[in-house]
Amino acid sequence: MAGTSAGRTVLEQPPNMAALFAKAALTARGRGGELPATRLARTGVTVDPAELAGYARVCRFPLADTLPATYPHVLAFPLQLALMSDRAFPLALPGLVHVRNRIDVLRPIGTTEALDLEVRAERFARHRSGATVDLCASVRSAGAEVWRSRSTYLARGATAPEGAPESDVTVAVGDLDRAVATWRVPDDAGRRYAKVSGDVNPIHLSGLTAKAFGFKRAIAHGMWVKARVLAALENRLPDAFAVDAAFRKPLFLPSTVTLSTAPAEGGWDAAVRNARSGTEHLVATIRPH
Amino acid sequence: MAESTTRRAAIVGGNRIPFARSGTAYAQASNQDMLTATLDGLVARFGLQGESVGEVVAGAVLKHARDFNLTREAVLGSKLAPTTPAYDVQQACGTGLEAAVLVANKIALGQIEAGIAGGVDTTSDAPLAVGDDLRRTLISLNSAKTVQDRLRALARIRPGMLAPEIPRNAEPRTGLAMGDHAAITAAEWGIGREEQDELAARSHQRMAAAYDRGFFDDLVTPFLGLARDNNLRPDSSVEKLAKLQPVFGTGEGATMTAGNSTPLTDGASAVLLASDEWARAKGLPVLAHLVDAQTAAVDYVHGGEGLLMAPVYAVPVLLARNGLTLQDFDFYEIHEAFASTVLATMKAWEDEAFCKGKLGLDAPLGAIDRARLNVNGSSLAAGHPFAATGGRIVASLAKMLHEAGPGKRGLISICAAGGQGVVAILES
Repeated sequence: MAGTSAGRTVLEQPPNMAALFAKAALTARGRGGELPATRLARTGVTVDPAELAGYARVCRFPLADTLPATYPHVLAFPLQLALMSDRAFPLALPGLVHVRNRIDVLRPIGTTEALDLEVRAERFARHRSGATVDLCASVRSAGAEVWRSRSTYLARGATAPEGAPESDVTVAVGDLDRAVATWRVPDDAGRRYAKVSGDVNPIHLSGLTAKAFGFKRAIAHGMWVKARVLAALENRLPDAFAVDAAFRKPLFLPSTVTLSTAPAEGGWDAAVRNARSGTEHLVATIRPH
Repeated sequence: MAESTTRRAAIVGGNRIPFARSGTAYAQASNQDMLTATLDGLVARFGLQGESVGEVVAGAVLKHARDFNLTREAVLGSKLAPTTPAYDVQQACGTGLEAAVLVANKIALGQIEAGIAGGVDTTSDAPLAVGDDLRRTLISLNSAKTVQDRLRALARIRPGMLAPEIPRNAEPRTGLAMGDHAAITAAEWGIGREEQDELAARSHQRMAAAYDRGFFDDLVTPFLGLARDNNLRPDSSVEKLAKLQPVFGTGEGATMTAGNSTPLTDGASAVLLASDEWARAKGLPVLAHLVDAQTAAVDYVHGGEGLLMAPVYAVPVLLARNGLTLQDFDFYEIHEAFASTVLATMKAWEDEAFCKGKLGLDAPLGAIDRARLNVNGSSLAAGHPFAATGGRIVASLAKMLHEAGPGKRGLISICAAGGQGVVAILES
């Protein structure tokens, strides 16, 4: 059952993501045109404590009475996927790369709050190697927005419409020359995060499935890396803040990476890099609201 | 020497999460999760965000090998300043009270101005160990240099070695569960079924009443959807408890049931202690002072004493040093490991032959006023996450003494595995 009004569709159930990935792959060809004005929503969504505990364990968050800053993304992501896999969406999902994610936590969200989710696509933009599009999510509780995010995806070789703006995928951080932690990222990190997030994109699951999409090995989920950065700083963050991350080079599995942090403007700058080569996987700014 | 005199450490307040029966509300939570949440609740209550205190001392009885630095890790994950030192202690069920004594002693000596004492335990996320044979084999496998050596080590593994060792609530030297030991003591002291059930029912009723009148409002912070201890049964009664089958002891003398014994429980507690000056400078209250403490141990293996009887020996030493009698207290907090333990403890203090023969006293310590015993309920109602019980009792008693007015005195008595006991005096 789905109710539709003025481009807004309310889904009664979370969509099946494995089916959406399959549908997106099968309908990849022949896409184009403008971004649809579709908004997909779910209302009264509650968090399953066991699923949250699994997510917290994989991302190293402590189990607490408020949601990790990245958790609402897990709730909203199936809607974003439904939007992107729909035939009306102009870009083919296989090959889309998550290049930037900004989250605004407007206040801590209790684990038992009933949440209203809404996602939409906007800002079809020109990028030097293709086109980008932003998938935006908003989470409301008792009528007030408590969380929002903007995920920027790059489609290499795609063309943005005439007159499209220039895309903005840069997150500027200060000097981050001090590694504060080393993480050994095992080869099943993608499968583990897929299990707790539902993001079963084949590029994360195994070397074989990643090769089918042009990656030499499986790569870690950017949102997992971002979550681990936030988990490492969790108790040092204010109640309301923005965390803006740019996903640079893929983090191939397995890898050993380092986390660098530095206080900046009342918040933090952070970077995750390969421990040996220094290849930058993620840079992020965290700023109080 | 920085200071030549000592001062009494003040108890400023406490915080704990509601206690949960094993495998229920906190089934997914680790010791570190619970201790961190408890510290953060204390930090929020007393405005300590980003501040450093002299020391945080806490512990857990059941601990994973990876949690060797549990308290420091919890501090690093908390809202306290990362420059706050911390260390772990473990004295079985005496852990929480011993932690408070250690913090209080450093404050008394002027070595620190404020500190946090706590404890945490989970039996839901308990550590599993591999058996000794498999453990030795795996270690030799790890240190093997050649493929041949490795294969030789692997070949020693037998299917029977693969069963994990689950931690048990049993004494290594006697092989008896703590409840079995307590049942022996109950039989020796002739502790009846009905008086145990009465004590258990009263514990539930009193704690439920304390919750209802808001006594725990500034002592407990909800966690993972739980606002009250989920072992608490406000409608508990002697009639209901009488229907339960005994689980410890044998035959006619078996009086101990799941209703008059504490269940396996998950939870954490923390207490803020400080010098009077520190509390005053922060504008924080002083609920009570920790006056003195004493530990004792008994030979429960070959010496014929009951496993949980050590507090009986510790209390007269503490009384003598402070020039007090057993009747000089307004409140008594005797940890209800088992209802029979509380009853045997009191009976021993009343027994002339025992007090003269075993405790070396001239006369029995005498009876205590039962109306002053565990007045807001104790472990039978709240449950007993081993290391968290001391902090629960210290914070609750300090608040009771504060409510009763200045000059009031309370006695804490906690028995522990290994035949040990920790006792302490608090005064408002």
